[in-house]
Amino acid sequence: MMFKRILVGLDGSAGSKRALSAAIRLAAEQGAELIAVSVEERLPHYAAMVGEVEEAKQQANEYFARVQREAYDRAKQAGIELRCVTLAGHAAQRIVEYANAEKVDLLVLGHSGHTGVWGQFLGTTADKIVRHAPCSVLIVR
Amino acid sequence: MDNAYAVAALWVGLAFLAAMIAGWTGLSVSLAEILVGVAAGNLLHLKTTEWISFLAGFGSGLLTFLAGAEIEPGIVRRHWRETFAIGLLAFFLPFAGVWAFAYLVAGWGLRQAEIAGIALSTTSVAVVYAVMVESGFNETNLGRIILAACFINDLGTVLALGLLFANRNWYLLAFVLATAVVLPVAPRLTQLVIAHTRGRVSEPEVKFVLLLMFFLGGIASAGGSEPILPAYLIGMVLAGTFLRERTLVQRMRAMAFSILTPFYFIRAGTLVSLQAMVASVGLIAVLLGLKVATKFVGVRPITAAFRFPQREAMYTTLLMSTGLTFGTISALFGLTHGVIDQRQYTILVTVVVLSAFVPTLIAQQFFKPDLAAHLAVDAARRVPIGAPAPALPDEAADSA
Repeated sequence: MMFKRILVGLDGSAGSKRALSAAIRLAAEQGAELIAVSVEERLPHYAAMVGEVEEAKQQANEYFARVQREAYDRAKQAGIELRCVTLAGHAAQRIVEYANAEKVDLLVLGHSGHTGVWGQFLGTTADKIVRHAPCSVLIVR
Repeated sequence: MDNAYAVAALWVGLAFLAAMIAGWTGLSVSLAEILVGVAAGNLLHLKTTEWISFLAGFGSGLLTFLAGAEIEPGIVRRHWRETFAIGLLAFFLPFAGVWAFAYLVAGWGLRQAEIAGIALSTTSVAVVYAVMVESGFNETNLGRIILAACFINDLGTVLALGLLFANRNWYLLAFVLATAVVLPVAPRLTQLVIAHTRGRVSEPEVKFVLLLMFFLGGIASAGGSEPILPAYLIGMVLAGTFLRERTLVQRMRAMAFSILTPFYFIRAGTLVSLQAMVASVGLIAVLLGLKVATKFVGVRPITAAFRFPQREAMYTTLLMSTGLTFGTISALFGLTHGVIDQRQYTILVTVVVLSAFVPTLIAQQFFKPDLAAHLAVDAARRVPIGAPAPALPDEAADSA
């Protein structure tokens, strides 16, 4: 099976770094386009102050800019031009929406990323994406 | 407890606990502080002292000032028809509807019904902003119009609170005159202070902004009015300055978030009675429904008049039905000025907090518009300057 467009979830965790390595290898082997998507999911809900959301978003932007820079450099070393995207919201929902919109062929995810209290109860982000993804999903352990 | 340091330790400890809960759950720290306050007030019977009340009042003033300063004047000017029409109707209809219900049906007094009308006419810029950022609509014209309309709605709230409850005396006249003199010169004076004192560790520019707030707030308070009115107005006139001076914004936010607003939100929570909440579940549900229904009556037709497609119109109406900060400020004003009792305060704050959740969840789940289509239309509208604006997806379908 050939993959033309691969999407890798990137949150800076050890699991997502392993997923990135696998995605880079696959993209190089198959000559596929590689996109890294990060989701800012820890923005405060039901805020009373715009500043609270803005400050949280700025911190998240800075964090993901670092993570994506590192990922971009790793992909570049393997001869892959990595496209990086940052979204905000519920990680599983936004990744599935983005995969749909971009018509990706393969989603690559790390098994255990950062996740909040609710994630512990309701399953990991990867579990939810597997259930709703519009394409094949590779979970990297 | 007479030991001020022990009292401070207890309150700051609760603020720390709320910050940790917010981090674990993803809730905003303000909401976590209200909930911690409710628990502390009902389980620990936490009482406030005079100095805590002052810090809480200062916190609500600074919160209001920052809310005013967060407005983007350019957006309001660019979309003034939509923002003023939506914002004003989103204030007046719920105010009138809730006031009439509270007075005529629920049997509340005239002044109590006015507090209910003001508290439930509010919307929440911050709740809406968080939704916009999460869904990506903060980058679209639709999102900007909704946010700007929220600011106009809140302006109606602070004007009503500031003017309806002011004593008609010489102090009120002095407040009106002082406001008329200070507001036009405030941006230029603030800019001058910043230019002459930039970089000083003693932060003279922060002190100058606080001086303006306290000066007008002091006169307003003497006239029996609410100091949040001048705070919001000063914030609004300094919004342009704050857009340029991001360091000043960050310093004022740090001061507000770290020590002042926690006292306000925790205090607001401590005054909620769980017993009264349980006893008034029916009225709480009716008032929540009424708030959303009157927002629909006010906002939904005007969005149709501005040719918002169906989904966008519902989304706008639901987001204008949210509430949090100004709703709790209005209810607390009523309680601390002896206008409403603790049961009525509990009812209003519960409805306000629920209105932060319920309309938001419905809007996000069932009426979220197509972001990609909006970004594409906005981009197309920007590129060919002077060319006719392309229709939104549903408009195009309608005309076809």
